[in-house]
Amino acid sequence: MVKVIRRNEFEDVKKAGVAVVDFSATWCNPCRMLAPVMEELSDEYAGAVEFYNCDVDENGDLASEYGITSIPAIIIFKEGKATAKTVGFQPKANMKSFIDANK
Amino acid sequence: MYDIAIVGTGPAGISAAITAKIRNKSIILFGSRTLSDKMRKAHLIENYPGFYHVTGEQLADSLSRHLEQMGIEITEKRVGAVYTFDDRFSLSAGQDIIDAKTVIIAGGIVNGRPIKGEEEFLGRGVSYCATCDGFLYKGKKVAVVGASEDAPAEAEFLSEICSEVLYFPAGEKLPKEAANIKVIKEKPAEIKGSMKADTLITDSGEYKTDCIFVLRDAVSPGTLVPGIELDGPHIKVNLQMETNLPGLFACGDIAGTPYQYIKAAGQGNTAALSAVRYLGKKQ
Ligand SMILES: Cc1cc2nc3c(=O)[nH]c(=O)nc-3n(C[C@H](O)[C@H](O)[C@H](O)COP(=O)(O)OP(=O)(O)OC[C@H]3O[C@@H](n4cnc5c(N)ncnc54)[C@H](O)[C@@H]3O)c2cc1C
Repeated sequence: MVKVIRRNEFEDVKKAGVAVVDFSATWCNPCRMLAPVMEELSDEYAGAVEFYNCDVDENGDLASEYGITSIPAIIIFKEGKATAKTVGFQPKANMKSFIDANK
Repeated sequence: MYDIAIVGTGPAGISAAITAKIRNKSIILFGSRTLSDKMRKAHLIENYPGFYHVTGEQLADSLSRHLEQMGIEITEKRVGAVYTFDDRFSLSAGQDIIDAKTVIIAGGIVNGRPIKGEEEFLGRGVSYCATCDGFLYKGKKVAVVGASEDAPAEAEFLSEICSEVLYFPAGEKLPKEAANIKVIKEKPAEIKGSMKADTLITDSGEYKTDCIFVLRDAVSPGTLVPGIELDGPHIKVNLQMETNLPGLFACGDIAGTPYQYIKAAGQGNTAALSAVRYLGKKQ
């Protein structure tokens, strides 16, 4: 399951061993397309990687803290530190390789 | 859900549509009723078998008739992106999303080189899509390089969100007058910045902005199909016109040189037959 970041959930991201955060918005087409891909990946990586969705309209502060200028932006956090970032929709296989290479 | 979605109405896309239709597949063909400027603008064509010494107009008109006679319709929409999923593809065209089991990309090649710095800053202060990224620049100042049919309308859309829109027209059409749209008739030359792009430099000025929207009709293949494997400026294909994405095929100029009508048409035919075979295997 992809968890939605509202306010305090970002603390969980920082505590997780590996977390994948999808910065997106409801009005963005590629974001909407990516959502089901992330949902499927969150099941495939259940127990190993945590998945979050961060709405940039509701979390403007987080979006600017992590330098989000185009969405969807996917950031991998390891032990609370942002270690890798990719921008834009990607097919599941490509997103999987990105996560595997950086987790 | 369509069996085959075809993007492009040059000789490659038309040939693919004809073969797919003969094979009784449900198809949707995206492009333009005038088919292809590259065809219309050719002065004289000497090397298309069966049509010696015809003008581009004549060849285009006979291809149009061929489509009509077979009852193949053209959907006059531009495909902005093709999204790949495990079981299907979703094509976004304007506000619509159309699903298909296979896709044939036959959009020709992009003319015109990117602005210096454009690709480097893509996703970092440079955007190709006003409706995707516009809201990120609520209340901010943006620049629009208007080189597409829809660019004026997209600039108007941005003017409702952003505090100021600097519009650099490449064509004749301009956005409707508005207090916060400023039309600047200068030629964009370079995009500069550090972490992210923040300056558009033209042949005679320099403009600070929060984002530069570069809006063109033809998007590069990598932007059109996220995840596609490229070979230089082209989509990488094998002799079956298969790409790295199973179920997605490419043909014509976008699949590599030589740039020729008959080669495009031949590859379109191959792509359609490959799509038909792929559909057969899936069932
Ligand atoms: C002046 C000139 C003369 C030429 N003379 C000859 C000649 O004599 N002999 C010869 O063999 N070749 C000639 N060529 C080359 C020939 O034009 C091309 O090789 C051929 O047109 C390629 O066909 P295509 O189907 O791949 O793409 P194109 O003909 O470029 O057609 C692509 C079509 O797809 C549409 N499209 C693109 N992206 C999208 C999208 N996202 N959504 C919807 N629609 C889209 C485009 O608008 C366009 O209409 C000439 C070219 C030019 C410019």
